[in-house]
Amino acid sequence: MFPDKFDYVRASSVDEAIQLLSQNEDAKLLAGGHSLLPAMKLRLADAPLLIDIGRIAELKSITANGTLKIGALATHAEIAGNADVQKYCSALAAATGQVGDNQVRNFGTLGGNVAHADPASDPPTVLVACNATIHVKGSGGARAIKATDFFLDLYTTALEAGEIITAIEVPNHSGHKCAYAKLEHPASRYAVVGVAVCLEMSGSTCKSASVAIGGATNIAMRSSGAEQALAGTSLDDAALNAAAAAIQADLPDDALMDDITFPADYRKAMSGVYLKRAVKAAIG
Amino acid sequence: MTKDKKLVIGQSVKRIDAHGKVTGETPYPGDIDLEGQLWMKIRYSDRAHARVLSVDASQALAMPGVVAVYTSLDVPVNEYGLVMKDQPVMCGPGGDKPGTDIVRCYMDYVAVVVAETEAIAAQALPLIAVEYEDLPPVFDPEYAMQPEAPQLHPNTPNNIIAHYRIRKGDMAAGWAQATVIVEETYETTYQEHAYLQPEAGLSYIDEQGRVTVIVAGQWTHEDQEQIYHALNLPENQVRVIYPAIGGAFGGREDMSVQIVLALAAWKLRRPVKIQWTREESILNHHKRHPIKIRAKWGATDDGKIVAAEATVIGDAGGYNYTSNKVLGNANLMVTGAYEIPNIHVDTYAVYTNNIPTGAFRGFGAPQALFAAEGQADRLADALRMDRVAFRRMNVFQEGSLLSTGTPLPKGVTIDKVLDACAAEAGWFEEPAGLWSRPVPDLPEDRTKLRGIGIACGYKNIGYSFGYPENSHAKIELYGKAEIEQVIVRQAGAEVGQGAHTVFMQMAAEAVGVPFEKVKLITADTAETGSAGSASASRLTFMAGNAIRGAAEKALQAWKSEERPAVGEFVYRPPKTTPYDPMTGRSEPNFAYGYVAQAVEVEVDIETGHVQLINVISANDVGMALNPQLVQGQIEGAVVQAQGYALMENLISDKGRIKNPFLSTYLIPTVLDVPLEVKSIILEYPDPIGPWGARGMAEMPFLPLMPAIAAAIYNATGVWMTSQPFTPEKVVKALRQHGIGVI
Ligand SMILES: Cc1cc2nc3c(=O)[nH]c(=O)nc-3n(C[C@H](O)[C@H](O)[C@H](O)COP(=O)(O)OP(=O)(O)OC[C@H]3O[C@@H](n4cnc5c(N)ncnc54)[C@H](O)[C@@H]3O)c2cc1C
Repeated sequence: MFPDKFDYVRASSVDEAIQLLSQNEDAKLLAGGHSLLPAMKLRLADAPLLIDIGRIAELKSITANGTLKIGALATHAEIAGNADVQKYCSALAAATGQVGDNQVRNFGTLGGNVAHADPASDPPTVLVACNATIHVKGSGGARAIKATDFFLDLYTTALEAGEIITAIEVPNHSGHKCAYAKLEHPASRYAVVGVAVCLEMSGSTCKSASVAIGGATNIAMRSSGAEQALAGTSLDDAALNAAAAAIQADLPDDALMDDITFPADYRKAMSGVYLKRAVKAAIG
Repeated sequence: MTKDKKLVIGQSVKRIDAHGKVTGETPYPGDIDLEGQLWMKIRYSDRAHARVLSVDASQALAMPGVVAVYTSLDVPVNEYGLVMKDQPVMCGPGGDKPGTDIVRCYMDYVAVVVAETEAIAAQALPLIAVEYEDLPPVFDPEYAMQPEAPQLHPNTPNNIIAHYRIRKGDMAAGWAQATVIVEETYETTYQEHAYLQPEAGLSYIDEQGRVTVIVAGQWTHEDQEQIYHALNLPENQVRVIYPAIGGAFGGREDMSVQIVLALAAWKLRRPVKIQWTREESILNHHKRHPIKIRAKWGATDDGKIVAAEATVIGDAGGYNYTSNKVLGNANLMVTGAYEIPNIHVDTYAVYTNNIPTGAFRGFGAPQALFAAEGQADRLADALRMDRVAFRRMNVFQEGSLLSTGTPLPKGVTIDKVLDACAAEAGWFEEPAGLWSRPVPDLPEDRTKLRGIGIACGYKNIGYSFGYPENSHAKIELYGKAEIEQVIVRQAGAEVGQGAHTVFMQMAAEAVGVPFEKVKLITADTAETGSAGSASASRLTFMAGNAIRGAAEKALQAWKSEERPAVGEFVYRPPKTTPYDPMTGRSEPNFAYGYVAQAVEVEVDIETGHVQLINVISANDVGMALNPQLVQGQIEGAVVQAQGYALMENLISDKGRIKNPFLSTYLIPTVLDVPLEVKSIILEYPDPIGPWGARGMAEMPFLPLMPAIAAAIYNATGVWMTSQPFTPEKVVKALRQHGIGVI
């Protein structure tokens, strides 16, 4: 299938991109094109003009100075293979390393992934679990949005018209035990259910836990029930089973994803399974 | 001409089509264009069951670029069908045959648009106004069999297309002898062929004025027959040519685009092309039959199966296609490769308003063997006998009587494939006849369990039950003192299995020349005689015998100095006979192939995911004419059967397919296939096969699903009785048994 006709322009800086966006109301940014172009081919999205930000060098860097700052245009493969990411937030390295296939990981960008807000995406789940911040910039200036406030609904974010994501900032989690575990769709490898955990350990006791789940519902969300069930335990079978039950209970029934291959009740059951697997992977 | 030393056969000669297909040079139907060609799009039914009151094409015709719209009124003889001509070419008013104004499934055609471009044709489609009068639909075959159900076709009371009976022995005596009895219901759903190449074709008037259709099918001469019948043309005015065919698996046995393309080219005298999308392909060709089987088997303490009873109900959908034949085969296969003295089977093929079902690799045997092998395992378990030992006690021997009361043709080797498979899988025979099952490794991860299963089966080679079976070949020898070139004319369809390469190997062998001297002319009704279809694992067997016969004659002509020396031969195998309607007595088939498979699975008890660790497939192929191609067929069949057993889940809701995409209809990819498929190729010659060869392409599909079910049971203690064993279903079944609950 082919997309409708569209125009194309390449922006060479963030400010130019913002300017182009403000001049063309219905224009869309083009990063790796691995969410936008498939949607346009299926005629689920259309845009009279694509503003290609793919070559803006300032958006490609990954730095680690106290916190991890990942430019919006860093690709999944770059993030997964980056030593700082592996150190600061191993769950993010794991999640980006499990996105789709090689081609998708080499083209798809973290900024595009986050902006697209596909409920089956992997990185948002980790960003929500790890208290990440999304940095955005528009003609009105720059602002920072917490990951937990960023994802609003299916394909819907707090990003306002004319704004561009510049970077994603993740606090240093090198002292935590983090992991991401995913049940992948056999055709696309998107997450049917993905669970990210960040555990603060004291010896063999879990002092506190941060747990997020994606794929199961319309957005990546935290599970406070699972977090409470894990905190203060030695992460034994009883604790894991309690947390698995709690994460299922936390999923709002009316927001459960449901399709022919993976019905809602299956996703719900798998959220508990993958929570346990994520915890086990974290404490390895 | 028999030779002891084989020159060309038995070798893995490189496929003649390999280079072109790998490089992309080979044209498939969709790749072929003609100057001035028009494009066609099909308007399918919008209802599962309705009377078409009127079709108004005026708006579509008014669109610039639209050249014609054809409806039922334009089809000279508005009916077609491979076995029964029970489907209108296009449904609509005006026919003299009753019922041609009724749509019976969503894949019925109501009109076709022909336009200057594909885009225009697509835009014009919705402009055709179709007025329907809804009729009560029926989607459940068991309900369709009731007298109060809507009747879908004239002269088919209770929608029963075919009812077969097997009445062998004395059931009361059988049950009285049985000390263990097992009963189960087995259910299967659709399978989509998912061949690489969606339907496409091009029709034009050739230089001799013939309506010519370039298309991918499985039997050129049968396509030709259906086209000239519908267009009411003499046979020699219609020509069918197959270029490269992107897979078939039975899915191209019935018509898709052939008749409507020919109709348009014939009327317009201009080339007309069509290309289906993947979605269109999945929605508009037939599927493998959903079949429900209730089975009850009994055995004695010492392990002899003494009674088997089954009811087999197959959903044919809106039209017969080959349903009566598929269910006929299931009727035979449902008691497995076992000699059982007392058998009572009732098998039904039933019309519904669902998508039609028809031929698909295995032709009713995979569903039937799911039940038969499941019953064999349950009996063995109930008797605390090893499953291989139990099978060895009951499988067919030379001279065994089939359920139809007649002996199998000579060359019965089910025991041989079973032994070879079991031995490779780690079964070992303790002193005599006592087998012991291998124990799978226990994975360290407590969420995973492993199990091993084994199953066996057999299937006919060639057409069954009295169908006139034959295949034509012609061989021309050119040269003076020495044979310089051999031209072999054999129409058999190369559907990706490598048949053409093997035809040439057989021709070279039969004439006694190197492979390079052979040229094949094929798959064109204007150039070749009828080969019969690429189906029923018959092509190599039938074409091979035809080629041998033709070569013999050509060599005789060569000896009498004829130049070119030409030999023509129609091979006719031993006759078969239809089922007796009351008892099922018949001589069903003239040859069989035998297979056994073992599989080790790892079941994730929390997610329900079943991974195939390794698969062993032992096949008696009689003679491996090209071992590499044989291995390709085995591996391909295993992967296709794996998809069938574990992943492929076509959902039909009130006759409408809900997942017509490869993103939602899941088939195995390279990431899903077994870590290892071990092919064991046995060569016990078939007494009438060419050089002893048996057909083999369907057989490695057959026992995989029951072997997987057995392996899952071995791992978890839970029987899966409803195919496919998707993660969701496996988890539900396991949790019902208290396994993997969180
Ligand atoms: C076959 C396949 C499999 C996949 N599997 C997975 C998977 O398993 N897991 C997973 O997480 N993802 C998966 N993806 C999606 C992949 O990760 C995408 O690359 C990613 O979601 C989008 O990144 P992109 O750079 O390609 O964005 P694009 O497609 O270029 O853009 C996506 C959207 O974001 C907007 N956008 C892009 N950049 C910015 C920016 N800096 N600021 C504001 N808006 C922006 C665009 O305007 C567009 O609306 C898969 C994709 C494919 C094609």
